[in-house]
Amino acid sequence: MAAYLLKRTVQILLTLFAFICIVFFLVNAQPGDISNVYALNPELPPDAKQRMQEQFGLNQPLWQQFLVYVKNVLTGSFGLSFSHYPRSVADVIGERLPRTVALFFTATVFSFYMGFVLGKIIAWKRGGWTEYATTLGGVTLYTVFTPWFALMMIWLFAFKAGWFPIGKFLDPVLWRDAPLNANTLFNRMMLTVFVVSVIVFAIFLVTTRRRVAGARYIQIGSLAAAAAVTVGIWWSTDVGHLAWDLIEHMILPVLTLTIISFAGTMLLTRNSMLETMREDFVLAARAKGLPEKAVRDRHVARNALLPVVTSLVFSLAFAVDGSVIIESVFSWPGMGQTLVSAALAEDLPLAVGAFVFVGIFVLLAHLAVDVLYVYLDPRIRY
Amino acid sequence: MSGAPLLAVTDLTVDYHTRAGEVRAVDGVSFTVETGQALGLVGESGCGKSSLALALLRLLPESAQIRQGQVLLEGVDLLALSANDMRAYRWNRIAMVFQSAMNALDPVYRVGDQIIEALEQHPSAVSQDPAERVRELYDLVNLNHNSIDRYPHEYSGGMKQRAIIAMALACRPDLIIADEPTTALDVIVQDRILRELGNIRRELNMSMLYVSHDMAVIAEVSDVVAVMYAGKIVEYGDAAAVFKRPIHPYTRALMSSFPSVTGEKHDLATLSGEPPNPLDLPSGCHFHPRCPFATDVCKEQAPPTVRRGTQWADCWNPPGDEADG
Amino acid sequence: MAVETAPPPAAPAPTAASLRKVRFALMLRSLRENWGLFVSTRVGMIGLVIILFYLVLALMHPILMNTVWDERIYDPVVGYAFDETRQPAPPSRSHLLGTDPLGRDILSQLMYSARSEFLLGLLAAVVTVTIGTTVGAIAAYYGGVMDTILMRFADIMVMLPGISVLIVLSALIGVEHFELALIIGILSGFGGTAILLKSQALSVVVKPYIEAARAAGGGPVHIIFIHIVPNLLPLSFLFMMFTVTGAIFSEAILSFLGLLDVRMSWGLMIHTTEAAGYLLQVGAYWWLIFPASLSITLLCSSFYLVGRAMDEVINPRLRRL
Repeated sequence: MAAYLLKRTVQILLTLFAFICIVFFLVNAQPGDISNVYALNPELPPDAKQRMQEQFGLNQPLWQQFLVYVKNVLTGSFGLSFSHYPRSVADVIGERLPRTVALFFTATVFSFYMGFVLGKIIAWKRGGWTEYATTLGGVTLYTVFTPWFALMMIWLFAFKAGWFPIGKFLDPVLWRDAPLNANTLFNRMMLTVFVVSVIVFAIFLVTTRRRVAGARYIQIGSLAAAAAVTVGIWWSTDVGHLAWDLIEHMILPVLTLTIISFAGTMLLTRNSMLETMREDFVLAARAKGLPEKAVRDRHVARNALLPVVTSLVFSLAFAVDGSVIIESVFSWPGMGQTLVSAALAEDLPLAVGAFVFVGIFVLLAHLAVDVLYVYLDPRIRY
Repeated sequence: MSGAPLLAVTDLTVDYHTRAGEVRAVDGVSFTVETGQALGLVGESGCGKSSLALALLRLLPESAQIRQGQVLLEGVDLLALSANDMRAYRWNRIAMVFQSAMNALDPVYRVGDQIIEALEQHPSAVSQDPAERVRELYDLVNLNHNSIDRYPHEYSGGMKQRAIIAMALACRPDLIIADEPTTALDVIVQDRILRELGNIRRELNMSMLYVSHDMAVIAEVSDVVAVMYAGKIVEYGDAAAVFKRPIHPYTRALMSSFPSVTGEKHDLATLSGEPPNPLDLPSGCHFHPRCPFATDVCKEQAPPTVRRGTQWADCWNPPGDEADG
Repeated sequence: MAVETAPPPAAPAPTAASLRKVRFALMLRSLRENWGLFVSTRVGMIGLVIILFYLVLALMHPILMNTVWDERIYDPVVGYAFDETRQPAPPSRSHLLGTDPLGRDILSQLMYSARSEFLLGLLAAVVTVTIGTTVGAIAAYYGGVMDTILMRFADIMVMLPGISVLIVLSALIGVEHFELALIIGILSGFGGTAILLKSQALSVVVKPYIEAARAAGGGPVHIIFIHIVPNLLPLSFLFMMFTVTGAIFSEAILSFLGLLDVRMSWGLMIHTTEAAGYLLQVGAYWWLIFPASLSITLLCSSFYLVGRAMDEVINPRLRRL
């Protein structure tokens, strides 16, 4: 198991290196001299241009530029952003990456769970109108023009119903006299969620492994208790309303991203279930006299889960693209929105920096999926 | 023949819906299994023997339908039970050893836990602690206790087969259906496991239904033999009688691959031709296109039943007694 | 092994022409069978009807422009609806889907764009499948180091978020329809398509006739393109469908974000609406948003549905028993 994970980590690191090379190739493959784009931007003052040229080694031969570039990537320095001058690219990314991680992670967890449960159910009801309608609905959600769908969500739930704010990250009026920076607060909130999830997950793991009697009740109880305590503590602080403001701005993007991404998992789960249902151990489970629900959940779905998790690798890229689109439509300033606005403003250092970080993020998520898979499939744990 | 048989199947008929039309897999089959008896069901693949085995537990795929017939287990018609009541019979009264034991264990759970799962489903079957019962079963099938907590992929083929047998024995069923129990194993392991299975059966006085395409396996394990062809039982009788003097030409053809019992006779070298297309069965006797003794009447009318003691067969041209000396 | 590799019996040498005839008849028969299966999936037929509908729209546009539509009014890019007093004008008899904020006829834009969507999708699909089958066949045929390099590269391609790549590229180089199709084709061809086609090619490579062709002195190029690639075609046709969906979708997103240098497209129509500030007035100005958005969604899903139906035809494990 450790050997397998080590092997995968090395592979991912190699992939990362290849990815960085591809980005360098892309940047340098464009027509004309790259140094013009970097150094001749009219928004930059002359001394900044000078620094830029030195930092990127633009007056050196290509292979030296490459070495400088690799060093820059490793140290996370991508120079100054044109459009956010005088902030550095690293600064802008440091502010926005946590947001996208939060959006992406929440939506992925929700959509995976939802897609898996629904796919499981429709596979079991093979045939008839349920299957037909869900397949069509699933395909429509999977292929719907995302900006349009996001727009309809904003129009319906924010504009017409007024339940949520229309786009943006926060409400500036509320934050005028705020005791702390929105980013600090957001990072604190994420830390809280992370710690609480780890505790709840540990309880789930222990109760399942040890086969504690009434594990189900302990699990649900601990989940509810953790949620109640967290909300209670945050509510009592003086920044509770500000935290809620951030959450309120996040609900609709998360919901939209969840809805557009669950369909892929659902359709895949259905196919995987249909293939697993033909296995002999499923027949054996039925022959043992297990109720249909136990056959479905304990045996078919548990095995059908494996290829679905494997394919998460494919859907990771899809979900990252999804959050890029959703962030732009919601004007929610995460990595995706940064990427798009940098591309529109021809802010090359920021666009390349954001893209490199998006790539690193996908690779790390890939590694996380590998770890999850090792946990799920005993055949890999040797 | 004292009292009612453990299992009495009458006129069982199973159809499959396929794209090409209705296919009759099992055609009006009747037989009985006494307590402690081992019935061997033999036939080529596709003759309906596996469908018959699955039909007894009502585990046929959705595309199959039991058209008519009765499956009486100690007088209770299993086909008339509700789905819930049927579940109480599965494994508890009738257990199964599967065709491909390699895949009959769920790869993501420990083998011991899969046996415990069956025990917990039928708590009334065994009063012991389930974990204790698993150890007892592992002793019975000669498996080491330290493999209880291993996963199926850590088992060898023979170990898996033993684990499957242990699982089938878990709830002390009255009848075990063994569908090609040893096909995937090499001959030596196959032989040893069959012998052990036979010993366990006699020890526990269980009934067993062996399903196989292999005459050698059937000869080794069964008291009574039923030969199936194109969905029908074409010959039935005590194993000793059937193997000594088979009536049906098909039985003789199956046995020709098996000379130690039939003696020196080699009138049929091998079985020629393909098994019949179930969508388009030959008229009259379904076996006539492949039968060396076929006459015109075989092509037109279903054959009559020929009896010799408890042994019987459906054939127009049974061998004369002089042929067998 | 040695026994199996013996060349097929050469006794009554059939002529190449008669062989071809037999092969053609066999292909026709399996095509007819598969068509029956395809029809029975229903969703595939829905997809096919939608595709045909848009194909008709695309083909009608030049005809309409040359007959009933006045070029000054109905040109999708530079036309202006002089006959309307306010822009954007709601649907009327002369403008069935109304006009956009710049006074251009929506229906004409919709039909004009449909053609470029088909061309884009077709080009991307052809590039993808050409690269995918070649890479897959080469990786499967040679194995070893070649296989490892190509498949590791494919892994990277699969992990790349395509839209983000396109966004960065649009900042680096100007991207038009042709480049877009090429980039999508390369990303998908070297990526997921190559991986899936390689696994299919592996099952072809072990077939005895490949061994026979090698024994008969066929070179690698001959074997790959004459014997392996044709056997991958049904599956690659399936991936063409999914590539078309991806290409149309990516194009729409990029032109919606204003990152694509195109004259007119469905995504650009929504971009225009957004730029003019009508985006949230969905109720009052529905014709500015719905026709283009629905067209993108429908055409994307139709190709996807056809692909899915083909998947059920090709992959018997998913078939209803």
